[in-house]
Amino acid sequence: MSMSEQQTLKHQVTLLELVDRVLNRGVVVSGDITLSVADVDLVYVGLRVLLSSVATLEESRERISATGAGP
Amino acid sequence: MIHLYGVVEELAELPPAVVGVDEGPLERHRVEGLELIVSRTVERNDVTQAAVLSHANVVEELMARSGAVLPARFGHTFTDEQELAAAVKTKASELARGLKLVRGCLEFGLRALSGDGASQNTPGEPSGRDYMRTRLAEEKARQRLAEELHEPLARLSRASTRFGGASRDLLQAAYLVPRRYVAAFGDEVRRLEAAHADLTIVCTGPWPPYTFAANGEGEA
Repeated sequence: MSMSEQQTLKHQVTLLELVDRVLNRGVVVSGDITLSVADVDLVYVGLRVLLSSVATLEESRERISATGAGP
Repeated sequence: MIHLYGVVEELAELPPAVVGVDEGPLERHRVEGLELIVSRTVERNDVTQAAVLSHANVVEELMARSGAVLPARFGHTFTDEQELAAAVKTKASELARGLKLVRGCLEFGLRALSGDGASQNTPGEPSGRDYMRTRLAEEKARQRLAEELHEPLARLSRASTRFGGASRDLLQAAYLVPRRYVAAFGDEVRRLEAAHADLTIVCTGPWPPYTFAANGEGEA
């Protein structure tokens, strides 16, 4: 595996780990989770599309920190 | 509708200029001595890329400013304060235990992928029995290797979890690491990478403790 392939893989794994954490882990305060399985599948489909373009991820993260973050 | 990001302790101030899902401003609510961070959403949350990233962004910002954060799982919106308060009340003791567990810790994820072609077929036509024997030996070797990676990292952690993971993953795990061990944890990951150059080891983090947030449940 080349260096750039390694980097791409690391980006993909990081994104996968992020989405997995937000949707599948974390504490559930209410008794039920209203996410349906179909919704989750959709996200993963979206995710796979996203994974093919690491640049897209970088952009959306930047956009979010641009709308949000302070220094 | 109310979207919950997590339960926090010792949050000095809300992260300035950070908005939540649907661009709603963040709010603090106190229920049973627990501090909740929420925002208003127009409708029930759709699971979009932007919403998921917003949620993650808010939790990370809270993490940077709090003594402890118990991240909430994305996927439930509350109709109003009453519903939120009622839900938190029924879980108050688990949430308090969870906060105690994650306090002072960061979460790291690890995935180890074995190199391509790990199971080379032996030349010729092996008998079914030989094949099964070879596969069994391979599986045992994989398990041993996964344990070799996991054990030294788990030793530096307050808690750790291994996941089933996809078949190409030799190991998928999460570690809850006290801040004072984070440097040692990083050193250990680098040592493992050097010792197993044939594997692809990806360590991610530091994450807010999503994986361990629900660990207060069911524990004494």
